Amino acid sequence: MAEFECRLKIYRQLQGLTQEQLAKIVGVRRETIMRLEKAQYNPSLKLAIDISRAVKAPIEEIFIFP
Amino acid sequence: MKDKKIAIIGFLGILCAAAMSGAVWYSLKFNGGRLVYPMDFGSYVFSYKDLPMILACIVVIIYFAVVFLSVFLHAAQKKSDRKEGYTRKINPKLGFLGFFGFLGFLGFLTYPASGQVTPFVFFIFFGFFGFYYEGKMSGTFMDERFRENAARAQSMAYKISFTINFIALIVFSQGYLTKNAECTLAALIITLSLSMALCIFLGEYLLYHYDNDENRI
Repeated sequence: MAEFECRLKIYRQLQGLTQEQLAKIVGVRRETIMRLEKAQYNPSLKLAIDISRAVKAPIEEIFIFP
Repeated sequence: MKDKKIAIIGFLGILCAAAMSGAVWYSLKFNGGRLVYPMDFGSYVFSYKDLPMILACIVVIIYFAVVFLSVFLHAAQKKSDRKEGYTRKINPKLGFLGFFGFLGFLGFLTYPASGQVTPFVFFIFFGFFGFYYEGKMSGTFMDERFRENAARAQSMAYKISFTINFIALIVFSQGYLTKNAECTLAALIITLSLSMALCIFLGEYLLYHYDNDENRI
């Protein structure tokens, strides 16, 4: 199912953010963050950039494509 | 719309109905039924006895204009109250409207009796079952994943509906089911109505399932 590995959960927790808080910052629903963390949803480039800015980590370290 | 306003509109409606009934009664009793029975308005000459009927008609027209305006303003108000970027709020119980689809079976009574095929169109109301799922997704924030799922659900619904229509058209136009043109028309109306209903329903049903348990589909 997963076409990539997602390390969002680690970086999010490092920033001390809850799924709800991160969702609010990047303008999506909590369910979307949950799917992202399970690598069940492939985000748009804009969302990926917003997330990387919110958790202060480079995109390529959050979303690892083979 | 506030209950008080609805009550006022209802009360005014009763008054209008009473005024119209009174005017009709007056016209039938004292004016030979003028303006009640069909008449030639080309040769109409005003008579003071026509006044109650004319006034009642004006009052009823004003009433309907006010009702129409109130409903229009209420709808506009409701639309502006809706939060931007959120799905509309509806009650899942509206899904029960889908049971109106069973009215389509009336066609099986009217068609043999009078050749009427129009009631078959009511099968389209089965699509209202989709309100149940739309209601469950009421007031949901439409983020990019939601919009993506909505587009996916809609395109899948169209695809299924189009495939059904395509196959049905080939089968019926070839005359595989029946050679009778009228029966073919009835069968086509039934199939198109049902496939349209399926399209309406599937759009909401698939969106709900894509959004909630994506992995199972």
